[in-house]
Amino acid sequence: MVATKATPAAATRSASRGSRGSRAAVFALARFETRRLLLRVPVVVALVGYGAWIGWRTLQPQDDYPALQDVDRATQGGPLFVGLVALLCANQAALRSLRRDTERHFGVLVLSPAHRTAAHALAVVPLALLTAVAVAAQFGWEALKPGVVGRGSVAELLAGPLTVLVFGAIGVLLARLVSSAVAAPLLVGVFFLLFVGGMYPSAGRETGTAWLAPVVSGTGAQSLPSALLGRPAGWHALYLAGLALTAALLAVLVAGGGRARTLRAALAGALALTVLGGVAQTGGIPAVTTAARIRASLTPERDQTCVLRGRSDYCAFPEWTPRIGDWARVAERVQSLTGGSARGQHLLVRQRVEARYGLFDDAALAPSTNPYQVTVGTAWGGNRVPEFSTAVASVLVAGNEKAASRLCDGRMVTIMWLSLAWQPSPESVLRHVRLDDSLSGSAVVISRTEPLTMTAGQTKVVRALLHQPFFSVAAKVKAHWTELTSRGVTTARAAELLDVPAHIGPDRCDA
Amino acid sequence: MRPVMTRRVALVLAPAVWRTLPWRTLGATGTVGLLPAALCRLLGAEPGGSSALSLLRFAALALALGAAFLLDDTARHTTAPVPTGRAARTVLRVVLVLPVAALWWTAALLLVTGPAGPPAGDLTLEAATAFAVAVAAATVAVRHTDRTDPGRTVAVGLVTAAILVPVMQPSRWALFVWPADPRWAAAHERWGWVLAVAVAVWGLSLPEPRTRRSLRLAITSPCSTSGPSGGR
Repeated sequence: MVATKATPAAATRSASRGSRGSRAAVFALARFETRRLLLRVPVVVALVGYGAWIGWRTLQPQDDYPALQDVDRATQGGPLFVGLVALLCANQAALRSLRRDTERHFGVLVLSPAHRTAAHALAVVPLALLTAVAVAAQFGWEALKPGVVGRGSVAELLAGPLTVLVFGAIGVLLARLVSSAVAAPLLVGVFFLLFVGGMYPSAGRETGTAWLAPVVSGTGAQSLPSALLGRPAGWHALYLAGLALTAALLAVLVAGGGRARTLRAALAGALALTVLGGVAQTGGIPAVTTAARIRASLTPERDQTCVLRGRSDYCAFPEWTPRIGDWARVAERVQSLTGGSARGQHLLVRQRVEARYGLFDDAALAPSTNPYQVTVGTAWGGNRVPEFSTAVASVLVAGNEKAASRLCDGRMVTIMWLSLAWQPSPESVLRHVRLDDSLSGSAVVISRTEPLTMTAGQTKVVRALLHQPFFSVAAKVKAHWTELTSRGVTTARAAELLDVPAHIGPDRCDA
Repeated sequence: MRPVMTRRVALVLAPAVWRTLPWRTLGATGTVGLLPAALCRLLGAEPGGSSALSLLRFAALALALGAAFLLDDTARHTTAPVPTGRAARTVLRVVLVLPVAALWWTAALLLVTGPAGPPAGDLTLEAATAFAVAVAAATVAVRHTDRTDPGRTVAVGLVTAAILVPVMQPSRWALFVWPADPRWAAAHERWGWVLAVAVAVWGLSLPEPRTRRSLRLAITSPCSTSGPSGGR
C-alpha cells in the first residue's frame, strides 16, 4: 500500500525514458524497501544482538592475543543469524503486496512483477553492506590489539556478508515460489537446524561437502600458521556470490522477467559461477598443504625463526615472532626464582603445533624428551600464560617435559610455586590452571603437552606457600634448591624444608 | 449476556470450525517438522543425545509455527456479531487441534528417542510451552488488533525468538540447555512457568474486549473484508 507512494514519480520518468527510467524506478523502490527492511523489528533486534555479540566477544580477556587467520573465520558466525532474519523479512516484504491485496493496483503501474522482485532482492544488499561494516569493525578491532599476530584473508571476511546476501535472495525466491506465510519461518527453522544446530550431514568436517554450507567451522581451538589452513576461502566466496546471484535472478525469472534472454544468460552465468566455486571448493586439502602440515608438526625447526633472548633461545613460526617478547618475560620471571644451576640454565623454548589431524582437531602435543626444551603453543593470554609458566618451571625442575609429566613427588610443590608465585593473584590462577577449577584435593593441571597431577597434600602446601611472604619463600626455595628438586623428595619433606606446618601423607598420584 | 456455549452449540459448531482450521498450514508444518527426524531414521542414523534433542526441538518449533496460524480467520469480521462469541470458537479451535497435535508429537517422540535419547517428558513440556506461547500470542494479537491473519506476525516473532534466545539467553535464566547440563532441572521449572504464564495470558485474552473500539469495529468491519483496509 505504502509502496505505491515511492513509484509514481519514477513511473512518469520511466514512461519518457524507457528502460533507463524503469531502472531508476527499480532503484527507487529498492531504496524504499531497504528502509522498511532495516526498520523491521526482527532485523533491528538481530543487528543490535550482533553488535552486542561482537563487543562481548572482542572484550573477552582470553581474546587479547588474537591470531588474524582465526579472527577472519570467527567473523562468520554472527552474520549467519543476521542472514536467517534477512531471509524471513525479505520474504515477508516480497509477499506484502499479495497479502494486502495490492497486487492488482501495482498491475497498472510501469513496474512489472519482475522489476519489483528485483527491487526486493536489491533491498537486501544494504543489509549485507551493513554486515560487511560490522565484520570489518570486528576484524579491525582485533587487528588493532597490541598482542595480535598472523594474517587475515579477505575471502574469509567476505563469507559473512555474502551469507546475508544468499539468505536474503533465497527469501525473495521463496516468496515467488510459495505464497504461504509459513514457508519462510519453516525454512528458517530448517536452516537453523542445519547450519547452527549442527545437523548438516558433514558438519564439523573441513573438506568435501562441508563446504556447500555457508559457514564451515569446527570446534577445535588451536591456531595454525596461515600457510597450513588449507581452506578454499576464495572459491567459497565465489560460490556464495554465485548462489546469491542465482537465487535473485531465478526469483526475477519466476516473477516473469521482462527481457528474458538477457536474464537467462545472466542466470546461466551465475549458475556457472556457483558450480565452479562449488566444485573447486570441495577438492580437499592440496598435497602441498598436507606436506607442510606434516613438516610443521614433526620438524617445526625447518620453518621456524629462532631468537636469543637473555640466556635462552626462542623458536617460533615466522607469524608468531612478535610474541617472543611475552614468552621471554614469563620464562625469565620463572627462572629468576630458581636456585642452583637452574638459574643460569640455557632453555630452548620451541613453538609446536599438531596440524596433521586438521584444523578442527585440538590434539594434545607429545611431551618433548629433549633436555631443557619447553613447548609453547600458538595461543596466548588467559590460562595459556600460567600454562606456559608451569611448563617452564617443570622443565627447570625435572629436566625435560616427559620426565615432568610422570613426576609424582615433592618436586611438584616447587614447580607450582615457581609457576604461580610471580603472577598477580596467584591463588585464582591456581584455580584456573586446575582442570576442575578447585582449590583443594587432588587435581589435574592443564598443559599444552601432557597434563601434570597435583595431590591433595601438594595443593595444601602450595596454597600455604602462596599465603606466606613472597621473599621469605623465595629465599628458602633458593637455599634448599638441590634437595627440593632431587628425585624422590616427598611432599612432606618439601613442606618441612619450606617451613609449612602441615600434616602430609605419602605421595600417591594414581588417583 | 449469559454464555451461549452449551454442549449442543459446541457439537453443532465443531464440524464447521474443523473445516475452517488452517489444515494446509498445519499439514505443511507437520510434514516439515517430522522430515529431518524421518530422514535420520530412513538413512539409518540413530540420532544420539544432542542431535535427538535438536531434532525434537525443531519439531516443537514446527508445531508452534503451525499453532501460530490456528486463529487466522478471513471471516473474522463477518462472524463478529454472532451469538456464540469468539472465545468459544477459539477454545473450540484449540480443543479440536490438540488431539491431532498430541498424536503428531507422539510420532515425533517415537521417531527420535531411543534408550539414550533425551528425557521425553521434559521435551514434551518444552513442546507444550512452545504451542501454548504460539496460541497465546495469536490470541493476544486477535484481541488487540483487527487483523484477520495474526499468524504471520506471531510466526515471525516465534522463529526470531527461537533463533536469538538460545544465543542471547543469560546463563541464570537459561531455557535452552543440554541434558548433561546441571541446569536442566531448573530450566524445565522455568519452562513450566512460561507454560503457566502463556496459558493464563491465553485465558485472559479469550473474551472480546468490551471497549468502544470493539463496538466500532463490530459496526464497521463487515465492509472491510474485501479490501486491504482490513489490515493496518
